[in-house]
Amino acid sequence: MRFEKYFEPTTVEDCCQILKEHGSDAKILAGGTDIVPRLKNKSWNPIAIIGIGKIPHIDDIVVSKEGLELGAGAQLRKISMDKSLEKDYKVIMEAAGHVSSMQIRNIATIGGNACNASPSADAIQGLMVMDATAVIASSQGTREVPIEDFFTGPGKNVLNEGEILLRFKVPAPKPGTGAVYKKFAIRGDTDISIVGVACRLTLQEDGTIEEARISLAAVAPKPIRVMAAEKALVDKKLTAELIEEIGEIAADICTPISDQRGTAEYRKEMIRVWTRHALKEAKERANAS
Amino acid sequence: MNMEKMKIIITVNDRQHTLFVSPDRTLLEILREELNLIGTKKGCDDSNCGVCTVLMDGMAVKSCTILIPQANGHSITTIEGLERENSLHPLQQSFIDYFAVQCGFCTPAMILTAKAILDENPNASEEDIREGLHGNICRCTGYKKIVEAIEAVRDGEYKESCGGV
Ligand code: FES
Ligand code: FES
Repeated sequence: MRFEKYFEPTTVEDCCQILKEHGSDAKILAGGTDIVPRLKNKSWNPIAIIGIGKIPHIDDIVVSKEGLELGAGAQLRKISMDKSLEKDYKVIMEAAGHVSSMQIRNIATIGGNACNASPSADAIQGLMVMDATAVIASSQGTREVPIEDFFTGPGKNVLNEGEILLRFKVPAPKPGTGAVYKKFAIRGDTDISIVGVACRLTLQEDGTIEEARISLAAVAPKPIRVMAAEKALVDKKLTAELIEEIGEIAADICTPISDQRGTAEYRKEMIRVWTRHALKEAKERANAS
Repeated sequence: MNMEKMKIIITVNDRQHTLFVSPDRTLLEILREELNLIGTKKGCDDSNCGVCTVLMDGMAVKSCTILIPQANGHSITTIEGLERENSLHPLQQSFIDYFAVQCGFCTPAMILTAKAILDENPNASEEDIREGLHGNICRCTGYKKIVEAIEAVRDGEYKESCGGV
């Protein structure tokens, strides 16, 4: 047997109640693409599984003037194909669309990708550069955590016992914003990223960079922002020299490991290369916006 | 301790089934072991190879990685659901005609994935088709014949013999 009890709460309150009662013996099931293999190979042995698919609005994608609300249960494929995101949140679509195969994206969720907290998670990279906030519920109420603080280590996140991730809030970008996520993997999206780089630039009318975000995947114990590079971009124009310099900073800051997908040195080199690509493309998109 | 069985209502190939099963079983296990639909294969059993692909509400999913409660109330299509009135589905026929089948182990999943691709985008380019098939591994054919078979259906070669896709 893979677990002992299965729950399917229909309200957030009920879900939090069940989480509270079972503490660390409970695991949440969203799309299941990470948890089901672990239940089967017994690397996880929870007593209770809580399916969250019946919680109302858990998979909603709502775009308003203020910004985007992205339900934790929204499937990656639904996100990657949602036309209402095309204009302002393309990078979020793109990052969600780079996860694995169509079959997995049809069922895996954005909240699951976040909670699984893999350093190489692709889908959350769009949220990282769009300043998303995670809305977390427990029986005590809700709290909000900026996405870059959501991850605490490989497979680890900020959720305490009894808490559930409900949705992400993303502020509407200013005019002149362009963002992109670049995934580098040998066998396309089905493969796990060797490195990934997300970048957002918000430009003033004369092309001066007003705000910048750079986030890296698969080169640290968790997804990381490169604040030093972001600072170095602000109030400047994106010249060839500046692009080189930012690539250097990103490569310097990351702390990759060597594994079957690449050595640490190779990953650093690829961060340099893909940061350059991402900057150029973010700028093109910002100009076109 | 025995887990409480759960009532599951699923429609499989247009037939509704009411089952009482343990919620820790996968959709793949239920299809093969309870409903005897063994056209859906079990390969890696951990969502890598794609041979367990079925359509859930028309979308391709890997049934080895879906717990049966996740499929509750949904409509499933397996390879057994494609042929009609003793004639093969256009994709089944084209896979045969274009030699897209060797050992055949990946074939049911390939055909269902191909159906999902074409249903969503009847004009899918070769690139779209290859991208869509990314989650399906074939160790025999090298994919070329599979892509050709799908392109033949896309191009309407099988409309008359077998009806629409
Ligand atoms: S058996 Fe499901 S993907 Fe391999
Ligand atoms: S025909 Fe043998 S695996 Fe595809």
